[in-house]
Parts: sequence; structure tokens; C-alpha cells
Amino acid sequence: MKRKKAKAGSLILTVLSAGLAIIFLAPVIWAFFVSLQYEGKQIQSVVSWFSPPYTFGNYLDLIIGSDVAKWLLNSVVVAVLVTVLTLLFSAMAAYALSKIKFMGRNKLFFYFLLGLMVPGEATIVPLFITANNIHLIDTYAGLLLPSVAVSMNLIIMVTFFKGIPDSLIEAARIDGAGEITIFARIVMPLSKAVLSTISIFAFIGSWNNYLWPLLCSMDSSKFTLPVGIPIFAGTYTVDYVKPMTANMIASIPAIIIYLIFEKQIVQGITMSGVKG
Amino acid sequence: MSRSRKIRDMATGLGLCFPFLALYTVFTIWPVIQGLYVSLHKWSLMGKVKFVGLDNYIKFLSDQKFIDALKHTIIFVALSVPFLVIMALILALFANRPVKIRRGLRIAFYLPSIISVSVASFIAKYMFAPYMGFVNGILHLTGLLKSGSEIQWLIDTNHAWAVVTIMTVWWTVGFSMLLYLSALQDISPEIYEAAEIDGAAKWQQLFSIVLPLLKPTTYLIVMLQIIASFKVFGQIQLITAGGPAGSTKPLIQYIYETGFTKNNMGYAAAMSYVLFAILVVCTLIQRAIQKKGEQKDEA
Repeated sequence: MKRKKAKAGSLILTVLSAGLAIIFLAPVIWAFFVSLQYEGKQIQSVVSWFSPPYTFGNYLDLIIGSDVAKWLLNSVVVAVLVTVLTLLFSAMAAYALSKIKFMGRNKLFFYFLLGLMVPGEATIVPLFITANNIHLIDTYAGLLLPSVAVSMNLIIMVTFFKGIPDSLIEAARIDGAGEITIFARIVMPLSKAVLSTISIFAFIGSWNNYLWPLLCSMDSSKFTLPVGIPIFAGTYTVDYVKPMTANMIASIPAIIIYLIFEKQIVQGITMSGVKG
Repeated sequence: MSRSRKIRDMATGLGLCFPFLALYTVFTIWPVIQGLYVSLHKWSLMGKVKFVGLDNYIKFLSDQKFIDALKHTIIFVALSVPFLVIMALILALFANRPVKIRRGLRIAFYLPSIISVSVASFIAKYMFAPYMGFVNGILHLTGLLKSGSEIQWLIDTNHAWAVVTIMTVWWTVGFSMLLYLSALQDISPEIYEAAEIDGAAKWQQLFSIVLPLLKPTTYLIVMLQIIASFKVFGQIQLITAGGPAGSTKPLIQYIYETGFTKNNMGYAAAMSYVLFAILVVCTLIQRAIQKKGEQKDEA
């Protein structure tokens, strides 16, 4: 009797959790179905948004006939470059800080730790002035360079590199390998896990960055998707279809990356949250 | 170690650090210092106008709009943090149950977090729009809202806060849910088994065993959420634009408007240091909590 009751209770909880999952997905599913509708469809009730006929024409229209494709390209270029530079520069510095003994190393590491205390949102005004002084406003360099050197990424890498045995590196040095060779041939290949975690975060972070691109890009040709989409959607006051299509174009790449790398993303978050 | 080796190591070490060091100094550290200088001046987009000493700091103490913006930010923190923490715990408990859909649940609960703020805000805005929006549509469909009547979500301040809070929970709860989930998975199964033998029901186990064990995680999540909520900007700007009538405008939006719309960067920089101070204090508390947790882990 007790067992039966427990089983029923468990089933109710499972159904409840599935219901919650559907609520969490509903806005995205709704946005997707809206993007499949023909423009100007009469919406009698909420059901009309989900009913056929469907079309992919809106996607084609936006990619060919609007700025959305350009912003998509900007977003991809910026996110890829941020990711590559983040990996390269953080790993180089982390290698030096963990495997090469040089004067001032500890002081330098302490200096990099300070960045953990600086909230980027609170320095946005002077950051703009600095970027403006060195003529980075409205350039790709301006969009991406401020996101590259992040203390947290460096610290995660230093912690990881310290775990690579020094004997391995000493052996390579005795064999006559230079530091660059050791870095590229030994350290980097051994660090795939941590590098992939950091690159996923750097990519998604850049892809979704809003406040800085909003300030840094004046001309619509330099907009990234998060900056361009609200402006694009603002030009449509009545129709939902085109703005929702733009939203989906901005989201589908991130969703696909998420579904592929879900396990690494979850591990990465857990790691950064626990290790901080 | 030979002298030449020492010099070579120094050159290699600094050389490898240089790109990171340069970008970090210019874009992270320098703005903090530059901001202090800017805040002591009347400063426009064109550059320095004149030195005004501490005027910008005295000014915001009696600026009602600044005080309101700070108040709205604190309201948002007070509204969003409890919902975010409780929801994160509930979702994590669901996603930790040994059922077939477990991985699917985790994927669904975290999926909104990877959508950009502008997309998430726009979807939320359309969801809560009258006439064609999803939420009113569902309310009509289920008969909770009389046909012909519409809820104007963004015209009333309380409703607008509700929309922003719901959207924020939906959009960002995944992160804390994952932190809870990993803490839940660290609890050894033996603890549950022992409780079961003692005859403790599931809900008793939850309150007397699981929740106490999750305490350090809860402290951490509360602090992280307070920090995140103090930084609120994008979703409010995009959903309510700070309205109705400026009644939801948070600190960052006021700083942004002062600096970039009203072209008063000196004043904006001075106000930024209030946010800076709040966030640094919260971060220090969070790190202290985390350190304590780690020491406990090692013990």
C-alpha cells in the first residue's frame, strides 16, 4: 500500500517536472513557430501561431534582403576572434606563469588577480573614453579586444597547467626543445579539456555580449546581432513574424552549439562555480 | 642557474605574458584609474571640459533620479534573488531524480541561459504583449481571462516588475540550477540509505538532510545572484525601457543615459563608483564564503 502511494507520488513529480521543462522551452518553441508563419496571417487565438501552413521564406528574406546577415557575419567574426585570441593569449601567459621561473612572476600573477574584483559594467564610461582615444570605436578591434584578457580564464588555465608534471617539461628542455615547442607540442595538447571549456564560454559570452557592442558600434554595418536585432525589430510595430525570424537566426547557432557541447558546458559551469 | 639562462627565462616569460598583459592593462585596469580622473571633471563625448573636484560625487547624493535608480535596482535584487534561488533549487531537485527524462530536464532548464539578452527580452516582450501575445492568449484559451479583455502588462509598474522578474528567472536560473545539481550529486547515496533505514520519508530527508547539506551552495548562489541582479540593464532597457514613466529604471541604465545620451560622462563615471563599491563588497563576501566552503571540503 505504502509502496503504491510512493509510486504514484513519484509519477506526479515526474509529470510536474516535464511540465516545467515544457514551460521553459515554450517561449523558444513559440518564437520558432511564429518565424515559420506567412506574414499578415490573421491570429484568432494563440493556437493560430502554431498551425500550418509553414514557410522558411522569412529566413531567406532576412538573410538575403536585410542587414541581419551582415550582423550575423559580424557576430561570428567577433566571437571566433575573441575565442581564438582568448585561448592563445591566456594560454601563453598561463604557461609562463606556471612553468617558467622568472623575476616578478608572483607580482605579475597578483596583478592579474585584481581583475576578478573589477566589474566591467561599472567601468563602461572610462572604457568607452579609452577606446575612443585610441580610435577603436566603430571598429572590429574595438568590438573584440576588451573581451579577450579575462582574469578568470587565466586563473583556470594556470591552475590546470600547474597540474602538468614539471618533469615532463624538464625532459623536453633537456632534449633541446624550446619554450614555444614545449608550449605548442606538449602543454596545449594535454589541456584540451580546459581549453575547450574556456573556448565555449568565450564564444557564447561574445555571441551574447550586449552592453559593450551597443556602445562601441555606431554604424549599423558594425552591429552584432544582439545590438542590431532590437533596432530591426523596432521597425516592425504590428507584425511578429519578421522580428521573430531575426531572433531565431540569432539563436539557432548558439542552440546548436549548446546541444552539441552540453556536457562540456555543464562541466565547465560546475568547475568555474566551485573553483571560482 | 646560469646568468644567461636567467635572462632568457625572463625574456620568454615576459614575452609570453605580454599580449595578455597589454590588453588586460588597457581594457580592465586602466579604465578604473581613468574613471577616477574623469569623475573629477565635467567631461563630454568630445573630452575634458573642466575640473570640478568632488562636485560629481556631491551631486548624486541629492539627485532624486539617481536615488530612484538605486532604489529600483535594490527592488529588482529583492524581487529576483529569492525567486531565482528557490526556483534553482526546485529545478535541481527535479533534474536530480533518477528518471529517464533526467538529461532532457537539465537541457531544457539551462537552454534559455544561452540565448542572448536581446532575443530573450524580445521574446518576453512579445509573450506578454496584449492581443497577439502568448501569455494573454493562453489565459484566454483556458478561460482565466475573459475574452475581449486584455492585461496590459507593461503599462502598470507592478506588472512590469513581474514581467522583468519572470523573464530574468526564466533566462538565468539555469546557472544556479547547475550549481545546485552538482552539489546534490556530491551527497553520498549512503546518507539517503541510512535515512531510509531509519524510516525517514522522502520529504523528511529533504528538510533534515539535503537542505542543511546544501547550505554552503545556497550562500554562494545567493551572493552570485545578488551581484548579477545589481548589474541588471539589458532586459529592463529592452522590455520596459525603464518605464512606465521611469519607474523601473535601474542604476546602469541611468549611468548609461547620463553618460551617453545626456553627454555628461564625468557625472556618469562618478555614479559608476557607487555600483563598483557595491559589487566589490558583494564579491569579497562571496569569495570569503567560497574559501570557507573549500576549507571545509578539504577537512
